[in-house]
Order: sequence, then C-alpha cells, then structure tokens
Amino acid sequence: MVHLSSLLLKNYHGGYVVIRLALAGHKQANRPFYRIVAAYNKRARDGKYIEQLGTYDPLPNIYNEKLVSFNFDRIKYWIGCGAHPTKPISKLLGLAGFFPLHPMTITEAERQRAQTEPIAAGPGDDLQQGQKEAEP
Amino acid sequence: MFQVIGGRGVQVTRLLAPGRAVLVEAVRGRKSRTDTVAKSKQGRIKVPPPVDPTEMVVLKERYAEYEMITRALRLEFKEEVLRKKYEEETGSMAEERSRQEAEEHRALMVFNDQENLRMLQQRVVRIQMEKEEAENKQVEAAIERELQQQEFIKEKEREILKLQEDAKNFITLENLDQRIEEALDSPKNYNFAVDKEGRVVKQTMLQ
Repeated sequence: MVHLSSLLLKNYHGGYVVIRLALAGHKQANRPFYRIVAAYNKRARDGKYIEQLGTYDPLPNIYNEKLVSFNFDRIKYWIGCGAHPTKPISKLLGLAGFFPLHPMTITEAERQRAQTEPIAAGPGDDLQQGQKEAEP
Repeated sequence: MFQVIGGRGVQVTRLLAPGRAVLVEAVRGRKSRTDTVAKSKQGRIKVPPPVDPTEMVVLKERYAEYEMITRALRLEFKEEVLRKKYEEETGSMAEERSRQEAEEHRALMVFNDQENLRMLQQRVVRIQMEKEEAENKQVEAAIERELQQQEFIKEKEREILKLQEDAKNFITLENLDQRIEEALDSPKNYNFAVDKEGRVVKQTMLQ
C-alpha cells in the first residue's frame, strides 16, 4: 500500500497527513514528553497515528541539553507524499539543519538579544567609551 | 465573526496575522452573538497585537525565502519518492528478482509434488497393511465365535446328560411309597461337633 498523496487519502479521510508533536502517554504530571508523529489531520493529538518519526524532550537534562531525535528517511518520504509539518516541527527541523532556519527562530533570537542588550551594555558602555577616548 | 463554533473552549480570535503562512479564520469561542458581554469586558476594544514595521518587512522577506526553500525541498522529496517507487517496480533489479522468485516457486512446487508422491506411497502401503490386519482380525473373530458356539453346545449337552442321570433318581408318584419306606428305614444323623481347633466329630449319641 502506497501512501501516495492526498488523492488517495481523500476518499476515506477527506483530510491530509500532518507531522506534529503528540504527547506520549506517560501519565505523569509535570513531565511532558513528545513524539514526532505522522498522523491524519483530524485525529486527536494523542490518538492513533500512522507512524512515529522521532521524539522531543522539552525538559533539559543534567548537561542542560534538550534531546530530539528524527527519522530523516521516513520524514522525507512523508513530506514527499504531501504531509504538512506544524510550526514547532518546522522550527525543530530548522534547528537540526534538515530544513532552513525558521524566520521566527531568528526573530525571537533577535528580540531576546534586543531585550538583554541594554542590561549588558549598561555597565559595559562606559568602559567602551573610556577605551575609545583613550585610543586616539 | 465568521463561523460560530458553539461549544467548549476553542482557542481563537487570531486575525490575519501578517507574516503567517497559513490563513486562520476568526472563531467566536464560548459565547454566541446573542450572549451578553461580561461586566469586566464592557468597554473593551479589541486591538490587534502591535507590529514593528521594520521587523515586519524583514520578516516578510525571510518568510518568502523560507517558503521558497521549503517548496523546493518538498518537490525534491516528492520526486525522490516517485523515483523510488518507479525503480522498485520497473528497475534493473526488479526483473532479476521476479525471475528468481519464479524459479524458487517452480523448485518449491517440484519439491512439493515429490513429497506428495512419497506420502501417497507411504499411505497406500499403510492402508494395505491395515486392510490385511482387519481381514485377519475378522477371520480370527469368526473362528472365536465358532469355538464359543461349540463350547456352548457341549455345555448344554453335558447338562442334558446330567439331568437325564438325575431323572433316574427322581421321586415320582409310583416311587413315592417306596421312597418313603426307604427314608424311614434309614435314619441319617446330621449332628456333629466342632471344637476350637476345627476338628470335626461326627460320632454322636444315636437315638
């Protein structure tokens, strides 16, 4: 059976395939864990999916890393069959290097830098000015 | 505003956010158009989130580039999927594989036929043996039955002879008086004594 494009899917589902994050059912409060999953659009978020394509752990571990895994081969297949990735998935894939960097990642980073700069530049500015005066 | 989705808390009211790739319709949320506005929201004027024009321009450029690249990637992946499918069906390996499979199938069918033949022969031999045994058993059973019948007949004949013998000693109307006389003439003593060790004593005081 080939999952080739929405033409075949529309007959039964009338929907399309998405690649999205689904909460893995660990049933533990305050400890989320996501699976990257190819599922039909109208299915429940944690409901039956077609195939699991990876994982994402949003909480950082003891080395301060957030672990993500991808099955690139299958992701290529699904996108080739016409699956839509969601925004967080596109961002993750952009950070991984598989997709180009998502614009919002760049804009968020810039905004954060703009926010933290005045605080860092405040005490640093006088030093810089002092140096500039001393140079020439 | 556009569509009433009456029901539970559906997240909402995002207007055409500039720079977004997908169009999202505005949705009414919990309350329908006839529900009264809440007291805390009486004078509220909903204002879209503030947009920085320079940032927006830059963002739009970035989005255009991003979408172009993703479109190209998607088409590439589609092509790859189609190519793989094509190669699997009509590629260089496909013919060899189909040929090998046909050969395997033929070999297996031949093997199967041989096995069937062997099984058949074994079965035939076994059935033969079983038939012969059954016949033997039948014959033996017949012989047994014959013997039994003979035995029965002999037994009955013996009984008849015995009865005939006994008939001579029967008491009939003619013998009656004679036998009474004889019985009265010969008194028989059935008394006997036994002690604890089991010794029988038949000699008693005759009267």
